[in-house]
Amino acid sequence: MAETVQTPSGSDVETAIAVLDEAGRTYGGSSVAVEALKPTNLTVARGDLVAVMGPSGSGKSTLLHVLGCLDRPTTGRYLLDGRDVSHFADRELAAVRNNTIGFVFQRFHLLRDETAQRNVELPLLYAGIARPERRKRAAEALASVGLAERVTHYPGKLSGGEQQRVALARALVKRPALLLADEPTGNLDTAAGHRVLEIIEEENRGGTTVILITHDPEVSARARRRLTMRDGVLTEET
Amino acid sequence: MNRRFRDIAYEGVLHVVRRPLRSLLTALTSAIAIAVTVNVISLSFGFEEDIRSDVDLFGRLTVDVGRLPVLIPGARRPSLGPPEARLIEKKLDGLDAVIVPRRQVAANARADGGDGEQRVSFVAAPPAYLKTLNIPMAAGRWLQDDDPDGVEGEGVCVLDAAAVGLLFPDTDAESDIGRVIEVDVAGTKRRHRVIGVLEDPLRYRELFDAFDEGRGSRTLTSSLLSFRNVYVPETALGDGQFTGISIAMPSEDALEEARRRLLTVWSVDAGDPKSLLTGGVGVFVRKDWMDALAVSTRQGTLLGNLVWVIIVIVAVIMISTLNLITVRERYDEVALRRCEGARRRDVALQITTEGVLMSLVGGLAGLPIGYAGAALLRHIVDFPFRFEFKYAAAATGVAILLGLFASVLPARHAARLQPARVLGRRLR
Repeated sequence: MAETVQTPSGSDVETAIAVLDEAGRTYGGSSVAVEALKPTNLTVARGDLVAVMGPSGSGKSTLLHVLGCLDRPTTGRYLLDGRDVSHFADRELAAVRNNTIGFVFQRFHLLRDETAQRNVELPLLYAGIARPERRKRAAEALASVGLAERVTHYPGKLSGGEQQRVALARALVKRPALLLADEPTGNLDTAAGHRVLEIIEEENRGGTTVILITHDPEVSARARRRLTMRDGVLTEET
Repeated sequence: MNRRFRDIAYEGVLHVVRRPLRSLLTALTSAIAIAVTVNVISLSFGFEEDIRSDVDLFGRLTVDVGRLPVLIPGARRPSLGPPEARLIEKKLDGLDAVIVPRRQVAANARADGGDGEQRVSFVAAPPAYLKTLNIPMAAGRWLQDDDPDGVEGEGVCVLDAAAVGLLFPDTDAESDIGRVIEVDVAGTKRRHRVIGVLEDPLRYRELFDAFDEGRGSRTLTSSLLSFRNVYVPETALGDGQFTGISIAMPSEDALEEARRRLLTVWSVDAGDPKSLLTGGVGVFVRKDWMDALAVSTRQGTLLGNLVWVIIVIVAVIMISTLNLITVRERYDEVALRRCEGARRRDVALQITTEGVLMSLVGGLAGLPIGYAGAALLRHIVDFPFRFEFKYAAAATGVAILLGLFASVLPARHAARLQPARVLGRRLR
């Protein structure tokens, strides 16, 4: 029996940004199959701020990959922004990631040899936007996370908090409908972590749906909705 | 080119610039391969072209009518004299043919005052004979109607380059003019003053000679081109049978028409082995053996080019391996680009751009290295390298192909990377 997790506000599937319908992910062949994400029902309302907690190996990353269109569910469906993306071709999934989703990772994943500005330009490059416009929007995004003075800095010359803010600017520069953040404060000190969370919350208040994966109860406590992942099963905290 | 394509290719360019050491290693491999390529192409194709143009100097549009050897005892030698020359003239009427009979015997010759006789061909030819060849004069002039034939008193002669090499090995053509040679023609001693020297059509004669020396036999080309002829006025050998009748034609079409008409008179094909048994008169078109020689030279050229092909294949494998290592080091970057919206083909395009650019830069650097190496080799061993733009362009094309082939596997590997797997393994 699949676990069903509804939105607390009771929003229906039509207005949700992300809907998992019996979506599961199994790795490996039939003899050594690992069910990383058991068939799950989840509806995430637009503008929600959701935290997903759980121990290592519980399936959080698999959930993030499915939600981020980096992986396809092996069972069920995934509706993103009203479209069933479960069977999208690679080209279509790339377009969805580019247009709809922003990613923030624990280790920032910045390109070492590129300036902060060029890092932030990256999604715009794959959107086919002209270079002058890319530079302008990247500078604005960096300014919005408090890094207007750091546009020409390379990641190696930035603190961890600043690097994560560059990553945030990169995720937000296209104004994505869904922001997926995997342990965004995991590598940061408390002050830097707070600053990053403030930016995420501010973005959420502006209408961006946020799904946070975290081990930190303090971070989780700032979410409007909290889910727990254990052994591939997603449950709602009440 | 659309903007997305251009911008992604530019990402590849930036990556090459920002990883100078790795890029340099790849470019260096390409440079070595292209240096060898341009060397071998310059040598082999240059050599081939030179040989073909040299051979063409022997009268590509000339037909020879000559008596074939009689191998059956007692068989009668066919006639080839003034009546046959008149018949040819009649047959080729209207084709602007220049018909030139010649008489030729083997003779011993030596430079006046020199020691040691040399075997030469003593060719009695009319002034028009030069039209059956395209060889220019190196010095002096060709034979004229009123030149003394040397039957009584001193005659004149024109030497070909091979004969000059034998008789006057240590002097240049200009200083050979006016010198006298003594010729023993069937026991009769004659003196001929040199009035002209033909240019050497075989520009790599020394190379062929060195090659022949090592092998103890003569190559086909050097045998064909080393006639060692001493040309004398046409009356120098009396008025007997001709050794051959050479016919210079004005064009390829006229040549083919002449061949057709002459074969209606002498149906013996000079290339047919049966004709060697029966003897007879054969029609021999110089263009035919020139073309046959071109085919065999081309085969040699292609064989020689295997050298650079093998080296380029090795370079493809080496650069491909380097690129694969680079891609493996860039899993995070590739996964990130895929997260941000890069399609598989975008990743493949970037990796391919990087590979082609590094190979092209290396190839362009390899061109001067290759030419410098060729110049050095030419200085040491006198190889006939030819430096031409088209060879450099061909080598540049090879560099681009090298980069493309060396990028196939790495680009495919990077494009097929699953970002979820990379990020799942390295997220923390």
